[in-house]
Order: sequence, then C-alpha cells, then structure tokens
Amino acid sequence: MKQVFLLLVSFGLGLSALAQREIEYVEYDLDNGIHVILHEEHSTPIVAVTVLYHVGSKNEKADRTGFAHFFEHLLFEGTANIERGEYSELVEKNGGTLNANTSQDRTFYYEILPSNQLELGLWLESERMLHAKVDSVGIETQRSVVKEEKRQRVDNQPYASFFTEMFKRMFKEHPYNWVPIGSMEHLDAAQEADYVDFYRTFYVPANATLSIAGDIDIDETKKLIKKYFASIPKGQAINMFRDFELMSEDAFKSKYGVAKSDFDGNNFMNPKSSASKAAVKKQANTAIEIPRPEKSKDQLDGVVKDVIYDNITLPGIFMGYRFPEQTHADMYALQMMNDVLSGSASSRINKSLVEKKEMATFAFSFSYGLEDAGMGIFAAIAAKDKDLDSIQMEFDKQIDLIKSELISQDEFEKIRNQYENQFISSNSTVAGIAENLADNHVYNGGAEKINTELENYMKVTREDIQRVAKKYLTQDKRIILHYLPKEEEEQK
Amino acid sequence: MRNFIVTLTLLVPTLLLAQIDRSVRPEAGPAPKINIEDSEVFETDNGITVILSENHKLPKVSFSLVMGSAPMTEGERAGLSDVAGSLITSGTTNRTKDELDNEVDYIGARLSADNNSMYLSCLTKHMDKGLELMSDVLMNANFPKDEVDRIITQNESALASAKSDAGTMSRNVVAKVNFPEGHPYGEVMTEESLKNINRDAIVSYYKKTFTPKGSYLVVVGDIDRAKTEEIIEKYFASWTGSNPYKAELGNRNQNSGNRVIFVNKQGAVQSVIAISFPMDVAPGDEDYLKLQVLNGLLGGGVFGNRLMQNLREDKAYTYGCRSRMSIDEYGSYFTAGGNFRNEVTDSAITEILYEIDRIGKDLVEDDEIKMTKAYMAGAFARSLESPSTVARFALNIIKNDLPKDYYQTYLQKLEAVTKQDLLDVAKKYLTAGKCNIVVVGNEEVVDRLLPFDGDGKIEKLDAFGNEVIERIPADISADELINSYIKTIAEGAEGKKLDKKLKKIKSMKEVVEYQLAQAPFPMKATQVWTNDGFEGRKMEGNGMTFQKSYFDGEKGANWNMQGGSTPLTDEEVEAKKKSSGLISEMNYKANGMAYEILGMEEVDGKLAYVLKVNDGKDDSFDYYDKETFYKVKSVVITTSEEETRETVINYGDFKSVDGFIFPHKLDVVIGPMALNGKVVSREFNVKVDTDSYK
Repeated sequence: MKQVFLLLVSFGLGLSALAQREIEYVEYDLDNGIHVILHEEHSTPIVAVTVLYHVGSKNEKADRTGFAHFFEHLLFEGTANIERGEYSELVEKNGGTLNANTSQDRTFYYEILPSNQLELGLWLESERMLHAKVDSVGIETQRSVVKEEKRQRVDNQPYASFFTEMFKRMFKEHPYNWVPIGSMEHLDAAQEADYVDFYRTFYVPANATLSIAGDIDIDETKKLIKKYFASIPKGQAINMFRDFELMSEDAFKSKYGVAKSDFDGNNFMNPKSSASKAAVKKQANTAIEIPRPEKSKDQLDGVVKDVIYDNITLPGIFMGYRFPEQTHADMYALQMMNDVLSGSASSRINKSLVEKKEMATFAFSFSYGLEDAGMGIFAAIAAKDKDLDSIQMEFDKQIDLIKSELISQDEFEKIRNQYENQFISSNSTVAGIAENLADNHVYNGGAEKINTELENYMKVTREDIQRVAKKYLTQDKRIILHYLPKEEEEQK
Repeated sequence: MRNFIVTLTLLVPTLLLAQIDRSVRPEAGPAPKINIEDSEVFETDNGITVILSENHKLPKVSFSLVMGSAPMTEGERAGLSDVAGSLITSGTTNRTKDELDNEVDYIGARLSADNNSMYLSCLTKHMDKGLELMSDVLMNANFPKDEVDRIITQNESALASAKSDAGTMSRNVVAKVNFPEGHPYGEVMTEESLKNINRDAIVSYYKKTFTPKGSYLVVVGDIDRAKTEEIIEKYFASWTGSNPYKAELGNRNQNSGNRVIFVNKQGAVQSVIAISFPMDVAPGDEDYLKLQVLNGLLGGGVFGNRLMQNLREDKAYTYGCRSRMSIDEYGSYFTAGGNFRNEVTDSAITEILYEIDRIGKDLVEDDEIKMTKAYMAGAFARSLESPSTVARFALNIIKNDLPKDYYQTYLQKLEAVTKQDLLDVAKKYLTAGKCNIVVVGNEEVVDRLLPFDGDGKIEKLDAFGNEVIERIPADISADELINSYIKTIAEGAEGKKLDKKLKKIKSMKEVVEYQLAQAPFPMKATQVWTNDGFEGRKMEGNGMTFQKSYFDGEKGANWNMQGGSTPLTDEEVEAKKKSSGLISEMNYKANGMAYEILGMEEVDGKLAYVLKVNDGKDDSFDYYDKETFYKVKSVVITTSEEETRETVINYGDFKSVDGFIFPHKLDVVIGPMALNGKVVSREFNVKVDTDSYK
C-alpha cells in the first residue's frame, strides 16, 4: 500500500537548490546546439553521464500517445556500432549502471560509471544521439515490454489510474490530456514513418543537454566531448548523415543531388567534392523545427465529479485543482502551502484526517508543476467503513482554513527549517547533481538555480501562502474523483 | 563582403570538426583507487557498541540505533512487533504525539522507529534538540491508549486493502510457505491476530527488545569522536534494560517436490509469480559472496542477467523478472519472479524454473561472470558515495563476525570467485525441483498451473497465506448442535433421564498414554474430575512428574518441574469456571461461555459443524461430525505471557463406557510436536486423591 504512493509524495519535493554548499559547474554550447554542463567532484571515483532530451509525452500526436516513452525503450536497442542487447551490457560489464525515464516534458538517459570509464559513457550517449538503430524485432519486443509495464504500474495497481483520469479531465486541449504511458492501441498502430519522424525531429543535438558530474577533470572531459559530440552534424545535416548510413546510392542522390560516395562517415562534414560540401553545409544551416505546444490555457469551468470503479477494497477520493506552470512565481508559495498541508507528520492533513478523525488510512496533497501547467492534488484512501463525503468535508475544512487564516508563525518557521534541511540534503549524489543541473537549465531558467532557488522560497511570506491558497484552491472549479470497489458497480 | 564573412564564420566550426572512427570502442583509463576509511568502534558502559563514521561533506549527522535482540515468535499475535514499532514515536511521558511530531518537524529532522531500531537524522546545528527528542522516545515512550487504538484501527484498514494488493499478498504467502510454523519470518498479520494485540503486549515487546545491552549505535556525518562521546554520555548513558532476547529458530521448510500455491485476486490482469525456497546459509558464511555473484548473474543486479534477458528481452513476457536471495542469520530464502500477463503465466514459470535448473547444471559463460563481477564492483564503488555505507560495513563486520578487512579486500575477493565456485554453490543451494511456486492472480490461470505441482494438487491460500477454508453455512443453530451432541454422547438420554444418569457419576479418572516422537519413553496423562467441581491433570513419564494442575471451582494452580507452582490468575479462574463439568457443553449457557456456530467444513473428508467457543481468555474451535454429532476435532488457541500456542486434537475410536460415548484415540499436535494418544483406562466413581494434583 505505502509504496504505491511513494512516487507521488516525492513530486512535491522536487527541489534543486542548496543552501550552504555551492555547486560549482561550467557550462557551454557546442556549435551543433548541444548544451554542456560539467561538475567536478572527487569524493567517490564515479561519474554520472546524462543526456536530457527536451521531449516528452506533450510532444506526441493525439493519435500516437505513449510514443515518447516507447521511444525511450527503443533507444536501448543498439546503434550502427552497437548490437542489439549490447548497450546495457557494455555499461554493466564495465561496472556501471544505466536507465532512463520519460515524463510529460522530458526524456532523460543516464549512465553511472567508474570514473575511468567516462569515455565509454560519452561514446554510448553520442551513439544514441547520432544513429540509433531500430529494427522490427526490437519494436515488437519493446511493445510487449511496455504493455507489461503498463499492466504492472497502472492496471494491476490499485488507484494507480487516478493520474490518467485526473489529467484527462483537467486538460481538454493541451496534450497533458494524456500521461506518458499513453495508449497501447496507439503503439500498435504506429508505422515505420512514425519512428523515423520522431527520431529525426526530437533526437537532434539542438534538443539535448549533456550534463556530467563526478570524478572528472574538466579540461580532459571537454576534449572527449569535442571528440564524441562536436562531431555530430548540426541542423538537418544530422538527418542527412542518418540517410547516408541507411539509404541506397540512388535514393541519397535523388534526395540531396550529390553522390553518397563523396562522403566518409568518419568525417562527414568534409566530403570530397565542393558540390557535396555545399549540400551538407546547406543542411547544417537548416535548423530543425521542434514543435512545442503552447502553455496550457485549459481552465475548469465548474466542478467535475466522477466515479471510477477499480479493483480495490477501500474507497478513495482524489481532488484536482488547476495550478500554474512550474516557472510561475506563485509556485514557490504553492509548494510551501502544500507543505503546511501535507509536508510531514505534523502537517494539517495528516493530523486531522488520519490521526484525529481517523477517517483515512492515507491522506496527503501534492503540487505537481510541469512546463506548461500545473496541478494540485488532494488524495485520501478511506479508513474501513468511512465514507468519502465526510473525507471531502474535512479536506474542504482544511482548505477553507488555510484560505481564511494566516498560517501560524510556528508553522511558517517549521516549513522554512524543513526547506533548509531539504536543500542541504538534496544534491548528495553526483547523479542527482547532473540531473538537477540539466533540469534547471532546460525548465527553470538556468543551471544556476541549483544554487539560488532556496532564496526564492525564503522570500515567500505567510501572506503569500494565504494569497495563493485563495487564488488556486477554487472550490467551485475542481475535479473530484471517487474510487469505489468494482463489486459496487456490479451490484448497481 | 558581408555574405563572405557570414560564410566564413559558418565554415570555421565545420573545419574544426575532428575525424572520428565511431566503430572503435573507448578503452578504460587506469582503475581509480577506492579508499574505505576505518570507522571508530567503542563500547559504552551500558553495553552499546558505538560505530562512528565521520564525514564532513554536508553539515548533517545521523544516529541509527539497532537492537541486538532476535526476532520473536508472535503466534496468535502475529504482527505485534510491527504494530509496536509503528507506535514507538507515539508520545512519551514528557510529550504527546502532537508535541513530539511538531518538535521534530520544527527542526526539519527525521525521527523514526521500527520494531528493532530507531533513527534520527538532522542538520548538525539541530543535533542537541534532535537527540533530546530521540532519547526521550527511547527511554520514555509511553504507548498512549488512544494511539494504540488508532494504530490498530489503521492496521485493520491496511489489512482490508492488502486483500486487493497483489504484491502484499505474494509477500505474505512467500513468507508463510518458506518458514515453519512458529518461525517469526513466516508469521503474517491477519484480522484475527490483530484482534489479539493489545497495549500490554506492545509494552512488553518494547521492553524486551529495546535494551542497551547488545545494541549498536551507528553515528554518521559531521561529528567527531569527542563530540560523539559527549552526546552519548549526555543522552544514552542513563538508558537501562535487560539482556537482549535470544532465540534458536527452527529449521526451514523443505519440500519433496515442487509445490504450487495459488492465491486468487479477482480481476487481475497479471499474475504475480514468486518461485522460492529456503536456503541454509548465513551472511558470515564462506559461500555468501559466491551466492551473491550467482544471484547477480541469474536475476539480481545486472540488467543483462539471465532472467531479464530470457523473460523480458527475448520473450517479452514481462517488464521485469528478477531473483533475490534474502540472507540473514535468522532465516534465508531465495525468490525469483515478477509480474506476467495472464496468458503467459505458465510459460513464465517454465522459463524461470529452466533458468534455476540450468545454472546448477553447467558452468556459466566467461562473459556472464565477468559482467556480473564488474557490475558488483561498480555497485560497490557507487555505494561508497553514501556516507552511511562505511558505517554499515562496520556494523556488518561486527554483527556477522567478518574479518576486519572484509570490505577493504572485497574487490579482490570478488575477483577471485570462479565459474566452478558458482556451479558448486548453485548445486548446493538451488533446489530447482523443490520450489514453492506462488502465483497471485486471476482464477482463470489456475488450470495452467497443475503440471508444475509435484503431487498434482494445487493449494489455495488467502491473502495472508492461510488455507482457504471453503466453509458453508450450517443448517442448525448452535444450541441445536449442542443439544444433539449431548444427546448423542449420552446415548439418547435427554432431560430428566439424562440428569438421573449423570447423578450416578460422582467422579471420573482417565489415563491416556502418549507416544512422542521426540521422547524415548511414553508419557502418561491422567485427568480426574469430581462432582463437587474439582478438576486435576498430571503428566508423567519415566518415573517423573513433569506437569500438574488443578482447579477446585474457586481457585487452582499450575505446577511444572522447572518453575514450581503458579496460582491461576483471576482471568484464568473465570475462564475455568465457564468450561466446568464432565460434559462442559451442557453448562455453556449456565456458565456464560460465549459460543457461536461458524458453519460447516470438511474434516478428513466428512462435513462437520464448526463451533467457536470463547471462555473470556482463549478461543477454541470444536468440530462436530454432521452425521454422528461426535466431536471429532478441537483447535485450542492458548496464550500465556508472550507465547501463543495452537493445539490441535483429533479424536477417534469412539466407544461406549457406562452409558456414555467417549473417544479413545487422541492425536495431538502442539507446534512442532505431535503426540499420539490412546486412552488406557477410564473409570467412574473411583477415589480421587485431589492433593496429588496440587
């Protein structure tokens, strides 16, 4: 039971700055558009090599949902120089570990390696970026694996569909309408052209952030990055290179007007003839248009109330409120408001619903900030024989209270102390630092936020917390989902 | 001109690009050095072993206090330690729970406890406040009644939801089938066992388990030796307690063939498969590291392990298939499995069993062992990033009696493991043909499981690992059952006729001889009853009296060889009163015994009524044959102090003695003990020497 919610609770804690220890780093852009961030730290002989692609489920077409996540699976299948199954094997047999994850906004890959294997990590990630190889065996295998992942994480998991149900109702227009796991029918319907398009549009240098942290030498690392990543062609030239590797002579000639034989894969930007040079230069200077949805304008226009029947024993209630996007200035106060309500054992929701009134086995709230919009969620699983309406009334009482009265000075101090502790504790691993640096660069307006974000929280006042509570916890505009045991549906 | 410049600037980076042959794989640089600093270890006067691991990277410090007690058998109170653990931070004699929560949260600290440990982590600047709270909890936890009630209610809800959580169901059943009755690791909290947990039991558990003697305090972070000694003196020196609880735990279960256990989860779209078996190994054993390599290769750490490659990457049956060896000093076992869609449940089992079998037959490939060892070496290096790792190493060395340089030389030891070593340990520990195959899933998959079971009979257990008793509603009431039973054993006599018949009996003496597998001589059990309310029991063997007990209607006592005589408590007296009489069922109503009929279920293939009886102290379940009304079986759950015991008695060989039907065969099972009893004599109206039972 507990583990189901672990993931959710941690959303509210996605903080990334540090109070006392300054995280030092260097950052620069390669000519092809890759943004590089390096952090040097020698306490443990390991290094984290990460690449963040600015693509997530919100970049999917409405009839191809789940594609970004599926693609993440496919990109472990191999490259022109790495056989199927070899990718992870190379990391593991060299003492490393690797994984990836996909959200609405990003796809993130990482390897954590012994520091003497830095070059291996760079080679692997540059291979993935340049010319991943996707064949039908891989597609079929990963299709089944993803389906199992959905069954395990969503379908067979009590209450787990609430995420999907909530987003579906909150965002009618914006692609946050669906969640990263997406639709299995859409994956089945995908054609080869879909894969090719997706790779050629989103897996390109200008859409990538390479962030490395650990036991490295900055100068040495820069040299290696130049070797493996600066050599990746810029603009549309990367897709020309991909065509060069896959197309026949004739097809290449008819597409680009120059002979394939003019080119050398190991020195692609310097072909033999001047016509070919001009052709590849032209492609390099043609930027790739990366389609991104606009910030969500979706607003609720009333209370949306629904019942969902699930394989559960205890009923549950989930309420959703529209919050702003993660970079909105109000998000600092909203996160602190959330911590007053649900940040720790002594916070209001736990004290009232779980401990005092004993109406819920679990009750919490969290604020979920995304690139284009946010959501605040209140959730509770009923205690045995307790009804959802009385839980909702208690939630509403707590919401009214935080809107009508300033939080106490003690509560305020408590939250601030907790933030300080969290900031000091975050960034305790090199993998976490690499990820936070990349995230801050892409989504929060700069890598430097890793060191300055705490100030923004410390500026929040008690009045701010009350103000955002009033503004965003709109009782007349919210989603209320009741989860009930399936048997009750059958009896109806 | 302008165009020219633009072209030039664009040309510059293009020309700077280096040539690269991407098919050439990078070579590793020189291996980095791994340093593991020694932790400081010292003992306090009150028996705490302190392990200090300084790390000043962040201004934080943590204190992890781990008890030296063994896990306790909880029996009828299964789940007691977990409930007690979650109540430790529920308030002290100085602070209510609200105050405590508030003070902990105020300094942004974390203070938590479980059934065997307590943990504090905070910023160094808040250390004194944090320790003040921790030591207050440690020494003054007061388990307030309302918090106990609340946690128990909360557990009731959790148990209700466990019935729809496949993962919990699977873990419960795996625990249950791999450990014998009475082993703490095989105990699973149920709705029934939760009812038996009360504040007294919780307090007594806490007192027994949380004691300084034999405990370990692991201090990690931004603190030095002098400060550590200072805070220990200040916050832990006055902590006192008894010796830690020790226990010798029984043998693991061992099957003769594969055993399939099915747990029904309605509407499941996946089967949770767990293939498991007990292992006879402890962390300090020589084979431990070899087993870790073996498991890593089979289904542990590496993504490229055999189970993952076969079942996910090759067959796409699952998102993940893994194996695990849970090895500790009190009980070790192996599990392999994952979540699989319904249609491939049987194929998945076949493949997992195939992999377990295969690894014990042939040497593994060079590549595989190389990769696994490299992965483990890498994981070892990565683990050193966390400051608590070094302290954990020190704790392991002490607890498991490892050589002092075990972790300093870990990488060399790992490198020395050979393919032959793996084959040897696989042969020794992996019992592919004697697995417990636990499947939690949809009823529709059951038929596919049949081929895997050694005896072709699939056991069905519930979410808590108990047999699914298919009980049907009774067709008579409890009172009707009791009347029919009395009439039967009185051979048809009822009402006044029966009273008359009973009046003739002034006393009874029954002698049963028990054969006990563990004892070389038979045991003689004598039981007496007189019509003025006296009851006595005696257990003798080999010329000695082991136990005796009596009750005279108002008071009584238990006596045993080691402990002498203990008078019955008031509670026991009250309970005894309720079950008095030659045929105690006759007096249930008059004596205020609580009883109810639960339904009917099969006993040895015949339907029997189940009557639940509670005398205010213990529950018992009596089974009456539906046709004959003979009492064929009794299950008595007794609790004394912390111990809960289930006694099962099967009755047989019913014969008439002086107008009453009595059983003459009593087969008794008490925990791991089985006794076969035969009534050697039963006499009425004999002289009873009541004193010999006192």
